[in-house]
Amino acid sequence: MSLSVLLVKILEGMFVAGWVGSAVVLVLTGIEDIGTLLDRKDENSR
Amino acid sequence: MSSTSNAPTGSNRVRIVVATSVMLTFISYWRAAAVILNDLGSSAFYAGGIAEQAIGKSAPWFVLGVMLFAFAVRAVYVESCSMFVRGGVYRVVKEALGGTLAKLSVSALMFDYILTGPVSGVSAGQYIAGLINDTISIADSHGLVPSAIHHLFHGTPQVGENSTAVVFAVAVTLYFWWQNVKGIEESSEKALWVMQITTVMVVMLLGWSLFTLLKVGGHLPPFPTLANIHYSDTSLGFWKHSRLPHMFGILGLIIGFGHSVLAMSGEESLAQVYRELAHPKLKNLKRTAIVIGVYSFVFTGLVSLLAVMLIPDDVRVKVYSDNLIAGLAMHMVGPQVLRLAFRAFVVVVGFLILSGAVNTAIVGSNGVLNRVSEDGVLADWFRRPHKRYGTTYRIINLIVGLQLFTIIVSWGNIYTLGEAYAFGVVWSFVFKTVSMLVLRYRYKGERNWKVPPNFHLFGIEIPVGLASVGLVLLSTAIVNLFTKSVATVSGIIFSVIFFAIFTFSEKVNRRKHAHTAAQMKEQFQLQLAESVQRETVGIRPGNVLVPVRDYNTLNHLKWVLERTDTREQDVVVMTARISQFGAAAYGLSTEQVFSDYEQTLFTRAVSVAESFGKRISLLVVPARDSWSAIAQTAHNLESSAVVTGLSSKMTSAEQAFAVGSAWEAIPEPKRQFVLQIVQPNGVVDTFRVGPHTPTMKNEDVVLLHRLWLNVTREPGLENIHHHDILTEALTRFANDYGARDRDEIVKELRRHNVAGGPLPARTIASQIPTVQPSPARSGRHDATSVPEDDGSE
Repeated sequence: MSLSVLLVKILEGMFVAGWVGSAVVLVLTGIEDIGTLLDRKDENSR
Repeated sequence: MSSTSNAPTGSNRVRIVVATSVMLTFISYWRAAAVILNDLGSSAFYAGGIAEQAIGKSAPWFVLGVMLFAFAVRAVYVESCSMFVRGGVYRVVKEALGGTLAKLSVSALMFDYILTGPVSGVSAGQYIAGLINDTISIADSHGLVPSAIHHLFHGTPQVGENSTAVVFAVAVTLYFWWQNVKGIEESSEKALWVMQITTVMVVMLLGWSLFTLLKVGGHLPPFPTLANIHYSDTSLGFWKHSRLPHMFGILGLIIGFGHSVLAMSGEESLAQVYRELAHPKLKNLKRTAIVIGVYSFVFTGLVSLLAVMLIPDDVRVKVYSDNLIAGLAMHMVGPQVLRLAFRAFVVVVGFLILSGAVNTAIVGSNGVLNRVSEDGVLADWFRRPHKRYGTTYRIINLIVGLQLFTIIVSWGNIYTLGEAYAFGVVWSFVFKTVSMLVLRYRYKGERNWKVPPNFHLFGIEIPVGLASVGLVLLSTAIVNLFTKSVATVSGIIFSVIFFAIFTFSEKVNRRKHAHTAAQMKEQFQLQLAESVQRETVGIRPGNVLVPVRDYNTLNHLKWVLERTDTREQDVVVMTARISQFGAAAYGLSTEQVFSDYEQTLFTRAVSVAESFGKRISLLVVPARDSWSAIAQTAHNLESSAVVTGLSSKMTSAEQAFAVGSAWEAIPEPKRQFVLQIVQPNGVVDTFRVGPHTPTMKNEDVVLLHRLWLNVTREPGLENIHHHDILTEALTRFANDYGARDRDEIVKELRRHNVAGGPLPARTIASQIPTVQPSPARSGRHDATSVPEDDGSE
């Protein structure tokens, strides 16, 4: 395996692992966001 | 107390209170979202077209992926803002990785900011040129273009799209250059208005597109597989002749993602507006993040998708790649004239939002360079204020010069500009996220929110979410280095040059500042205070506030000192350190608020005070606009008078109106004060700020008195006072104005305002018979002297 292929494999691994983790971030923050949107307390929309 | 005469014991130094918090008018999350979307939303006009040129028809999936991933990037910004109120890239990187990498990250951020202007200006120009050309073509197809013109142009007359875009971009950039040199005030009101119009366009665009899809059908773009990614000649950069991009499917996804990443440019604005967000800040920041996330996903993401579904392949890239939304408008179902009208609307909205982004680029770059220059990283020469307008015009000139250079070198090629732009965008995100990761272990201060999920292993926190976002960004940024050769070369050259300037300036400044600091230490004693309070400044209520800005125009200070016994009444000399909208995001160190300019200014002020043998207190207030600073400081210090010089840009009435408007924005309870504006010729205009007893004309007094005389003759109303008459009259006026005769009243007032004449009090008074007061009323305390008879009896 050449160095460039190894670099590509590492980058691909980083990207995939990053996206899996980011998907979890999106789900968790999405749930929290729904709570934030439903919480009308202190809301000042002016 | 800070003064020329009561310096601290054992020292000749003059104390200066330096407020470290910017006096801000806090804004709601809707306004904050509008400010950010003016930058973030503008990419919808060009991101989809650029991505498709690079990777083919599956580009909308990548744009949608980027807009989805932007939610995760936003979470990183929310965490950084929960740690630092001014949680921009520079502050966070400096905190985590030190000054050297902070300078490098700022260089990347500057590359992003400086390219925002050209890419937005050129894109707006492309939309305008496209509209002109298509309108002429349609007119020609209907035989509306005279044959002579046809012959002259050897066919249908058309403007050169790139050259028109260059001319337009240069014109818009020069316009905003001049506005920024003059020091325009950024307004969230304007941003909100632009976003309201944009929303109307987006709703129409989506509604009409969906209707078109239902009527004529459409196909989803091909899914992003290696087979469906079609690289252009320029989209592989240094890998153009390599087999690697064609061998690995996931690498293809990273390349596609890298070519679409500019769709989320503008996220940095989130950190900039946080400082100005109203309470509860963190919750409102999250709300802002949700609004901008959903909006940009729908606008940028769906528009890119719909464009591929509705615009035929043969014209989409060839004709409309630089003005994709205009192409979408032209391929809806409906009469041609209606489509053309909608396209014109798209161009107007594009002009507004993209021109706004040009201004944002100048304001943002100016803010960042001011921040670093105030940190000693850029030579003081750049920060010298404009003689007339007081702005950092040399920094603005540098930014605009670089932007004009970029526009001309690119010659309106939006693809090249966009590709280069992505370099700055992705690397500033990488620096930010890596720094946030480092700060998870190094930062021990307050942190109100963390990007989830986080696990603990042997007592050590593993920030899985934050690291994941970092991995996606870092892998994309590295791949971009290979695939975007123009961006890599230009980005690295730009960053290296800026980094070298910063490093060299810092070394020069370090020596110079050491000397200045020593000088200042001898002359001034700085006392930092989070907010401006009378007790902190050490003055009595009823003091005189004297705002100063230019050390060559201190006549109003002399005027005050001539007339004030400072043993009885304190005089506070204040200067406002103005930061542009969003610039408050960048930390305010003492050096920022009290620079060598303020030192010179106060040295002159102290010298003036010494010449009168009177004492003054000195105050520096960071603020977003000088009028708010004056009104809020006068309020906080319980000043009875504010004395200022005449502005070079406004009349005294306009100045008074500006201070009055700022005073209105202060929450109740608030104090009134007198505003005196000393003109260079010595004439002083006096205004009362806040509600006050108006100066009544003699004929009004006559009318009031006659009414009072008449009313008191009514049975049971003998004890009525003059003010009761006024109360009744004003109540009736309020009722009429609020409900019945508003239009009539406005018309009447406007007529007299235009005519410049008084309301006809005298005429009305003459219609009311004079009644002599009865002896029973003669001793009343509020009985006015009987007015001089005007012969109406």
